[in-house]
Amino acid sequence: MSALVLAEWHRLTSARLWRWAVLAAIGSGAFTALLAFIGPENFDPPLPGLHTAEGTRVVLGVLGLLAFVPALLGTSAVAAEHRHRTIATTMLYAPRRWTALLAKIVTFTGAGLAYGAITAVVAGAGLFTAAAAKGSTLGLPPGEVLALLVRIAVTMGVYTLLGVGFGALFRNQVAALVVLGSYFYVVETALMLVPGVKALYPYLPGGATAALTGFTYLADAVAAQTGQAAGTLLPASLGGAVLVGYAALAALAAVAAPLRRDIT
Amino acid sequence: MTAVEVRGLGKTYGPVAAVTDLSFDVPPGEVTAFLGPNGAGKTTTMRMVLGLVAPDTGSATIGGVRYAALRRPAATVGAVLDTSGFHPDHTAGAHLRVYARMGGFPRHRTEEVMDLTGVTPFAGRPTRGLSTGMRQRLHLATALLGDPSVLLLDEPANGLDPEGNAWLRGFLRELAAQGRAVLVSSHVLSEVEQLADRVVVIREGRLAVAGPMTGLYAAPGVLIRTPGADGLSALLSGDGVTVERTATDTLLVHGLPADRIAAEASSHGILLHEITPVRPTLEQAYLDLTGGPA
Ligand SMILES: Nc1ncnc2c1ncn2[C@@H]1O[C@H](COP(=O)(O)OP(=O)(O)OP(=O)(O)O)[C@@H](O)[C@H]1O
Ligand SMILES: [Mg+2]
Repeated sequence: MSALVLAEWHRLTSARLWRWAVLAAIGSGAFTALLAFIGPENFDPPLPGLHTAEGTRVVLGVLGLLAFVPALLGTSAVAAEHRHRTIATTMLYAPRRWTALLAKIVTFTGAGLAYGAITAVVAGAGLFTAAAAKGSTLGLPPGEVLALLVRIAVTMGVYTLLGVGFGALFRNQVAALVVLGSYFYVVETALMLVPGVKALYPYLPGGATAALTGFTYLADAVAAQTGQAAGTLLPASLGGAVLVGYAALAALAAVAAPLRRDIT
Repeated sequence: MTAVEVRGLGKTYGPVAAVTDLSFDVPPGEVTAFLGPNGAGKTTTMRMVLGLVAPDTGSATIGGVRYAALRRPAATVGAVLDTSGFHPDHTAGAHLRVYARMGGFPRHRTEEVMDLTGVTPFAGRPTRGLSTGMRQRLHLATALLGDPSVLLLDEPANGLDPEGNAWLRGFLRELAAQGRAVLVSSHVLSEVEQLADRVVVIREGRLAVAGPMTGLYAAPGVLIRTPGADGLSALLSGDGVTVERTATDTLLVHGLPADRIAAEASSHGILLHEITPVRPTLEQAYLDLTGGPA
């Protein structure tokens, strides 16, 4: 297995995609830093400034929204092998096909965590510098800011894992992205309107994500729209576990069906 | 030494019976040519042997074991497949290093196979820019990484220049001489003729013939053009000799060497316009087998 993981790591780092990923990670962090420098009080509409707990949360919350980006990286793990027709060679080297998928999951989760770490470091540095430049301090204690940044970094790792699972299931990067994206941005919001589904919200991907990142804008928005109180979210670690569970389900489904198909 | 055994293999795609009840062996130490018209089922058969396509019936084993059950598959079987590709960003060297790691092969093995297959001069170039022949060499290098005792090559000569082709023939002969089992599919029969010890010919997914190359040929004969065809025909016909009239002035004689025929004709005063020993070609034998144009 370690040979397969080493090979996948080499495969990833020998192509150009990882350089774009590093750029995207730095860019996400830098965007957060930029928002911090502008200051939420100058947003349209104006929001409480960085020196308030709410203002700091708003800026970090935008970064939380960008956790979806590394899923893009994950969906390429299996899809690229189909697109470039290396899949047959890979399956010849790993005829027990699930081992190759597992190696990709391990490799890309590592890459996704690295992506998250880069983002968190850049964003964190930006936040603290922005506050200092404004001659004030962040509205949250530094320990809490760091904890939220770590949770966002972990979310990015988990989303990369989700990307690998769904990419393996659909074998096509665009299809996997459309399914993941439309779920998070459309389907789940629509589901919330179905009576009774709201009770399940903490266990749905969006609710689990909110639990993991600690940002509840979607839950709050739904609550505002439906006039019902938002359900209580799971603890962060459980929310993370629920997301990993969805990724595992996708990977298992991939092993059960598409991975068994003939390679012609 | 490892051999490939194909037994009762069958695969249908919807209404198409790609392969039907196919059995043959690929013995070690020999080059076996795998021949058949387009769509005969060669690629499908190779993919079934390699576990990429699940057969509907029958089985294929390597040294008695299914491909997927091999302990070290890439170190046992090397394969070149006609539709495989490379990641366009990867250099030729990076591609080989990925799979060398995957197979757990030592680092220096990458350099070795690059030298063996002539990949070294373009090792640093991204695969997106490689020519067909370069890609084919890189496929071969990938197949050889594990120093496998069985090679399954689907049209490996595709896109190689004449030098490359001659080199490949010598190379495959050498690999077989080292005791490896080599199965090569091809459409270039003149090249197969110089390369293979055995042939497996399939037609519409079924076995047409399998065996040593020599058994495939019709007996050599002598073609004679003469105004005295009637006389010569009567003269030569007899024990173990067959004379076939292919045109009014043309005979095809089997069972007598050219010099004996010439001597007979001359001693009876029969004029010969042409006397040519004919060696039947693999192409003719193949076309006879597969029902192509005579
Ligand atoms: N994935 C597939 N789906 C449907 N039909 C297929 C598939 N793969 C092969 N076939 C059919 O099976 C038959 C055998 O095809 P195959 O590729 O094995 O032939 P081949 O002998 O390799 O031909 P060629 O000399 O042209 O490479 C053909 O009729 C082909 O159309
Ligand atoms: Mg073919």
